[in-house]
Amino acid sequence: MSSLEIAMGAALAFGFGAIGTAWAQSRIGSAGAGAIAEKPELAGSIIILEALPETMVILGFVIAAMIILMVK
Amino acid sequence: MVINVDIGYVNARLRGMKSRLLDRKEIEKLIARPDIDALIAGLEDTPYKEYIEKASLSYSGVQCIEEALRKNLAETYQLMLRMVEGENFEKYIKTLLAKWDIQNIKTILRGKNIHAPSDEILECLIPAGELDEVTLIELIRQPDVKDVIDLLATWNIDYSKPLTQKFKEYNEKRDLWILEFALDKYYYENALSIVTGNSYDAKIVRDMITTEIDVINIKTILQLVRDSIVIDDTENILIGGGKALNIDILAPLLRTRTTREAVRQLDKTPYSFLAEIPDEQLAAGKISVYERELDTYLIKKGIGAFHGDPLSIAIAVGYLWAKYKETTNIRIISRCKTAGILEDDLTEELIYV
Repeated sequence: MSSLEIAMGAALAFGFGAIGTAWAQSRIGSAGAGAIAEKPELAGSIIILEALPETMVILGFVIAAMIILMVK
Repeated sequence: MVINVDIGYVNARLRGMKSRLLDRKEIEKLIARPDIDALIAGLEDTPYKEYIEKASLSYSGVQCIEEALRKNLAETYQLMLRMVEGENFEKYIKTLLAKWDIQNIKTILRGKNIHAPSDEILECLIPAGELDEVTLIELIRQPDVKDVIDLLATWNIDYSKPLTQKFKEYNEKRDLWILEFALDKYYYENALSIVTGNSYDAKIVRDMITTEIDVINIKTILQLVRDSIVIDDTENILIGGGKALNIDILAPLLRTRTTREAVRQLDKTPYSFLAEIPDEQLAAGKISVYERELDTYLIKKGIGAFHGDPLSIAIAVGYLWAKYKETTNIRIISRCKTAGILEDDLTEELIYV
C-alpha cells in the first residue's frame, strides 16, 4: 500500500471521528448551557456528558495511529 | 432538513424552568394552609419568594399574591420571548403570547368604559406579550376608549385596525363586546395566517390556536343560550377556523333553548365530555362548570405538547400552558382562602393535569 493511501486512510479515520465529536458536542453544549442556566447544580453532570463524545475522536485517533503503524 | 442547533438550549432551559413549577404535593401543601397570610408565608418557600417579598411592600392579602403572580407570569413569558429571539419558531411564540396583548387591551378598554381608576386598571394587566408595561401605562393614561384606540393607531399597532373599524358601531350601541369580539377575531385570523405550512412546529401551534377558537365559540354560544339571546348573524359572534367545529356545526347550537340541549349537540365532537357533566353539578342557569371543563381541556391539551418532539416548539408550548395552569391554580387557592371555602371544595376547583 502506498504511503499516500495510508495517510488518506488515517486522515479519514481521524477526521470523521473529529467531525462526529464536534457535532455531538455542539448539540450537547447548547443544551447543557441551557440546563446549567436554570440548574447550576447540574454543571458536573453536564461536563461529563459534554466529554462523552470525545471517545469518538479518541477512537478515530487510535485507528489512525494503527493504520500508520501497522499497515505496511 | 434544517436543524436549529440552539433549540437544544431553549428546550433545556424550558425543561429546567418546568422542573421548578409547583407539583401536586406542593400545591396540596398550599391548600392545607389555614388562611391567606399562611398561604403567603407558604409561597415564600417556593420560587415565588422574591415576587411575594416585593409585592408585600405595597400590598397585603390576596392582592399581594395577585401582584406577585402577575409579575412572575409576565417576567417568565418575557424571558421566553428573549430566549427564542432569532429562532425559527420565534414568530410562533410571539403569536401565542400576543394573546396577552389582546387581553391587556381588552382590560384597558373595559376599565375606560366604566371609568375605573388608572391604578386599578394597571393592577389587572399582565404585560406578557409584545406591549410592554410602559406602553400599557401610556394607554391607561388616555381619558376614554376613543383615545386609547387613537393612540394605538398613532403608534401603528395592528390591533387598532379592528377597533377603528368597529368604533362607530360601539359608539352607537355602547356595547363593549363589539370591540372585544373584533379584537379576538382579528387576533385569531392573524394567528391562523401566521401558522401556515406543514412543519411540525406550525402544526402544533395551529392545533392549539384552532382548539382555542373552538373553546371561545362554545363559551359564546353557551352564554347566548343561557341569556336566551337569539342572533342569526353568526359572522359577528363566532370566530371561523375552529379545529373540530366550523360555523355550520355551531350555528344550529344558537337555536337551542337550554345550555344542556346545546352541549348534547356536541356529542360527536371532541367536546362530548360537556354532555357527560352530571345534572347535580349544574346549578340553575350557570355555565361556569362548562367553562371550567373547557378551560381544563385546553390546558391539558397545551401541557400535552410536552410529549411531542423534544427538538421542536412542543416544549415551549407545553411550558406556556404549564405555567399558566400553575398561576391559575394559585389564584384559585388564594381566592378560595379569602372566601373561606373548605379544602374539599377548593380541591375540586383546581386544574390537575
